[in-house]
Amino acid sequence: MTDLLQLLFAGLSQGAVYALVAIGFVAIFTVSGVINLAQGEFAALAGLVAISAVGSGLPLLAAVVLAVLSVALVAVIMERLVIFPVKRMTTLVSLILTLGVSTGLKALMLLVYGPNAEGLTPLTPGSFSLGGVSIRYQELWILLIAGVVSLAVYWFYERTLAGKSLRACAEQPVAARLVGISLTKASLLSFLIAGTVGAIAGVLASPIYFTSWESGLTLGLKGFVAATLGGLISVRGAVLGGLLLGVLETLTAGYISTGLRDAVAFLLLIIVLVARPAGIFGRTAEARV
Amino acid sequence: MSLEVRGLHAGYGRLAVLHGIDLTAGEGELVAVIGANGAGKSTLLRALSGLLPVTSGTVHLAGTDVTGYGPEKLARTGLAHVPENRLVFPSLSVADNLVLGGYTRRRGPAAARKEARDRAMALFPRLEPRLEQAAGTLSGGEQQMLAIARGLMAQPRVLVLDEPSVGLAPRLVGEIFSALGQLRDDGLTLVVVEQNARAAFAVADRVSVMDRGRVVLEGDPAALSTDPRVSGGFLGGGFAADADATTEAAPATGATRAADRR
Repeated sequence: MTDLLQLLFAGLSQGAVYALVAIGFVAIFTVSGVINLAQGEFAALAGLVAISAVGSGLPLLAAVVLAVLSVALVAVIMERLVIFPVKRMTTLVSLILTLGVSTGLKALMLLVYGPNAEGLTPLTPGSFSLGGVSIRYQELWILLIAGVVSLAVYWFYERTLAGKSLRACAEQPVAARLVGISLTKASLLSFLIAGTVGAIAGVLASPIYFTSWESGLTLGLKGFVAATLGGLISVRGAVLGGLLLGVLETLTAGYISTGLRDAVAFLLLIIVLVARPAGIFGRTAEARV
Repeated sequence: MSLEVRGLHAGYGRLAVLHGIDLTAGEGELVAVIGANGAGKSTLLRALSGLLPVTSGTVHLAGTDVTGYGPEKLARTGLAHVPENRLVFPSLSVADNLVLGGYTRRRGPAAARKEARDRAMALFPRLEPRLEQAAGTLSGGEQQMLAIARGLMAQPRVLVLDEPSVGLAPRLVGEIFSALGQLRDDGLTLVVVEQNARAAFAVADRVSVMDRGRVVLEGDPAALSTDPRVSGGFLGGGFAADADATTEAAPATGATRAADRR
């Protein structure tokens, strides 16, 4: 029983990181149909920027803020340079373009930060034991911050005019333009959201899961799987998908074999794409138009 | 003139669809543009509202040259386009659809936004009890009302509508067109593109008949409705038919017959 609880808890905190990365995929995909393969690199870059900032003597919180802001800026620049100039964006074109950006960012990170994996200083070091389950303070931070960020993003889409205008672009792009919403501004805003949320995921995960120039690949793919579980168009679906994936992974690693951990995501992806292409929490009627 | 179109050419890539359209609509005037399927009516509206680039010609809105404006800028300048098939935002509530309709006025006075909304509600009282419902759950007629109300939320000077009657029962068509007539009486300028000529003739101040990218006839609805060229040729039978499927099948024959008569 203690083992199960331990695995569940570890799975939830891992899943919360996936959830944040998944929100980034959803934010961009709904507005422009772009699948951003550089989403994982946003997280890795944020981790590395924060680590090197702490290394050069900046206080942890300042380093984290710096990392999130710089990655948000990178996301915005990426949109203007790579997405905005394309006249007829299709999902396939977007895959090729963002794969290019992802590769470029990885090379840049390798060049600047070197090949080693490092962990950021945790917000609160150490751990405690609760009924035999060992809990790291950082894991609590992950759950807390990921929860707050997810709710904030959800609130943004449901309650604010800017959020509603993004949903309008996703549902009826022509009608959105006719009421005066600029699709190019909407796309830029979606990248800003994805960059910010991805960066937060990166700095939260770094103390436990470590960050290197190539850690964005796995994180990005897991986030993508989580987003797909939720149908790629729903923030709620992305969060649930992330948590589910995290838990399934740790349960597999704990009860079957650690070697199978990474296979879980892709097995899930195949099953969902074959059986329920709209996502396991999605309704087909919500499909992007 | 609220809306003045001169020598408008537009098309899709190398395919020219509009060959020099002239169209005017004065303040408080309801102009109907009718024609068979494929005559270029929707293309005209798409060019008017900036969805489609203009190849040549000019568009003036209340004296301002708006040729080449994109849809966002045109919406701000005072042209609202109610698109074909309504295109409401389905997962958003009716109230949110209206809020987004006023997107270009979001920094304007709240009182003006509220007034626009009150007027839209007075025009379509059926929407009032549905405000919190998702727009996608409304009936076709209610969605059309919502699309018009959303257009009005932009506080436009000119409202252009693309086939507001399509797919609606005759009773609802009558309801929609009498609302359009009411808007005209309140001083709004309207341009309505329609295949359902009977509904359009009943409220229009002036009618333009389009055929293959040109305005071929223009005038008073009473005079035009008895014109054999209208009932026989250019509409492909559309005048005789109410808003039903027979208009869908007719365009090819309509175009050939119109050509024979020249």
